[in-house]
Amino acid sequence: MDVAKNFPLVIILILFIGAFIMPLLKNKIYNKAFSLMTIGISSVLSLITLVYVNRYGTFLYRVGHWDSPWGIELSIGILEAIMSLLLTSVAFVISWYSVYTIEKEIKDNKVCFYYTLINILVGALLGIVYTNDLFNAFVFIEVSAIAACGIIVVKDKKENIKATLKYLILSSVGSGLVLMGIAFIYSITGNLNMTFINKELSQTFMAYENSILISLGLFTIGLGIKSAMYPLHVWLPDAHSNAPSTSSAMLSALVLKAYVIFYIKILYRMFGEEIISQFPILLFMVLILGSLGMIMGSILAILQKDIKRVIAYSSVAQMGYIFFGIGLGNTIGLVSTFFHILNHAIIKSALFLTVGSMIEKTGQKKLFALKGIGKEMPITLGLFTVSALSMVGIPILPGFISKFNFAIGSIKGGKSIFVVVILISSLLNALYYFPIVINGYFGEENLEGKVFKSKEKTIKELMPILVLIIAALILGASSNKIIEMISNGVEVF
Amino acid sequence: MNTIVLIEIGKILIPIIQIFGIYVIFFGHLSPGGGFAGGTIIGTSLILYRIIFGNKKAAKKLGFKRLMRLTCGSLIFYGVLKGYSFITGGAHIHAPQISLGSPGSILSGGYILPLNIAVGIVVAITIYFLFCLFYEGEI
Amino acid sequence: MEKLLTNYYETASIILFGVGFVTLLLHSNLIKKIIGMNIMDTAIFLFFISKGYIYGKEAPIIRGVHKGIQGYINPVPTALMLTGIVVAVSITAFALALTIKLYEKYGTVELDEIMRIRGE
Repeated sequence: MDVAKNFPLVIILILFIGAFIMPLLKNKIYNKAFSLMTIGISSVLSLITLVYVNRYGTFLYRVGHWDSPWGIELSIGILEAIMSLLLTSVAFVISWYSVYTIEKEIKDNKVCFYYTLINILVGALLGIVYTNDLFNAFVFIEVSAIAACGIIVVKDKKENIKATLKYLILSSVGSGLVLMGIAFIYSITGNLNMTFINKELSQTFMAYENSILISLGLFTIGLGIKSAMYPLHVWLPDAHSNAPSTSSAMLSALVLKAYVIFYIKILYRMFGEEIISQFPILLFMVLILGSLGMIMGSILAILQKDIKRVIAYSSVAQMGYIFFGIGLGNTIGLVSTFFHILNHAIIKSALFLTVGSMIEKTGQKKLFALKGIGKEMPITLGLFTVSALSMVGIPILPGFISKFNFAIGSIKGGKSIFVVVILISSLLNALYYFPIVINGYFGEENLEGKVFKSKEKTIKELMPILVLIIAALILGASSNKIIEMISNGVEVF
Repeated sequence: MNTIVLIEIGKILIPIIQIFGIYVIFFGHLSPGGGFAGGTIIGTSLILYRIIFGNKKAAKKLGFKRLMRLTCGSLIFYGVLKGYSFITGGAHIHAPQISLGSPGSILSGGYILPLNIAVGIVVAITIYFLFCLFYEGEI
Repeated sequence: MEKLLTNYYETASIILFGVGFVTLLLHSNLIKKIIGMNIMDTAIFLFFISKGYIYGKEAPIIRGVHKGIQGYINPVPTALMLTGIVVAVSITAFALALTIKLYEKYGTVELDEIMRIRGE
């Protein structure tokens, strides 16, 4: 079974080489099939990697002929394997959905480039997740930023270009800060490999306290911009609400998460718990910004009138939860962060896809125009309702479990006051999701003149969303096992 | 842009620039230079061609589809070759590798020369595309 | 103050970084924003390369005799920054292309005017 050790590298190679085969294919249908095939193969390989890692433990893989301090190294543990399975399989489902709908949003001659960009994006995100080398991660971050901008601007409308430019400029600020942080770390330790940096730092960190604090701050702000930490989220609503709906799902569900994984790696693998505990102010700031994001993101979502912007702001709130879990600074916090990443990736992509099909069928983006949609598209709104319930945190669904774990984490960390924040945020979540559902299904005047199931999509086109919802239900039902697996992973991280 | 002076000087200058670019690519592993630098030089010669001879003639010789195919081909070549090297190195397989050659000659440095050529092609075409995009709005 | 003067590379690059950052954030002209972005990137390259430079040593290209490890500067930061430059060039090109498209659609490159057009 040693062959399995090659799989992470093989996945990245398949995705990148496949990306450049696509412009050569003549027919759109071949393009779609090829993209689905490459992402499908990589999710199967990720699954095998997960099984392998679960049995034999974490392994390091050298890339090329050089051993680790000199060459690039991949490090695959349980968490990385879970994340790669999540990234590839959610990307697979989203591009499965896009097969039916993508021509309606972008021009015909751009379709092949769209799939090229999707492949590059997924490959780069997987690279960020796997790599153990700082500079390699930086390059993958830039590649993913360009690809992410590409899948927004592919729609070629006024607002898209503006949103993309905003995203590109802010994300290049973010990556500039990250590179500066890498420069500080390199000048202290002379290494780029995270494991070796940790070894060097644990001996000499007393002499370089200021530099370490500066580079921690640079990493936090830089990756905070990229993954929409609360006051730095300004690019997100524009970018996510204007993009084609499959791109929004991809951006919101996957792109934000990979940077968080990289941030956690930097904190706990590179600096290590010992150094982090020297600077309690940092984690406290992350905690405060996370809780601010949870509340302000929801409040801003309530104020929106455009349904896609509501969901985009909801992403800000959910990223707040994720940073909240990191800021708690204990094991339970981290475990629930990871669980919330899984949960949010699945549910948010389901939300964006359902909303995408509503917008596609009715042609309306405004909330008031979507009243009574439940009679025209009952199944779609039903799927939307299930995901919304999970976001709010109704028991059995995965959203409840992650919120419950966040609450336990904050009590165990001696920060019981933050349980109130979680409760308030959940209530606010309910405030903006339930009106959509209630106005969709009920109300005499809302339903007037609507024909039952008149705009419903065929079951074949709804299949991908159904798969996502079923995955979410399974995630909720088998949460004990998954949380146990994640906590095993966190221990060896 | 149809003056005879431009055309005649272009006819002399473009091949020289291209040969210099090829030199930089081929000696990338022995001296400063390499795929990116050499590719940029070749790219400038393509840009010069387009400025002097106009976009109709340029479109005939440097058609979008042909260049796109060439770029993708080189990228795939790069990916396959480097991927082979990565995997044989990572899995500790003693598969045949490109020989290292004798130091100082052109055929040395193992993978660096073929990879540099691939990079050079990609960079040259990308620079040309960027110019066309900025100059005329479409490729 | 004396520390700042001895480490003049670092001082200069941090000042440049600040200049670029402020240009990027405060100007509403998109071209100026992109120039600011480039200044910021260049500052980081200067910082990184100065970390690898050792006074009085040669560039690591072997001509004739190999002088041993002591004879050359550290090549790793230079190689990394070469990659960084390529990345910065591609981001700049992408941003400029988007700016051209934006100019075609809105007729201006000032961000605050674009905001106003959208608000109407």
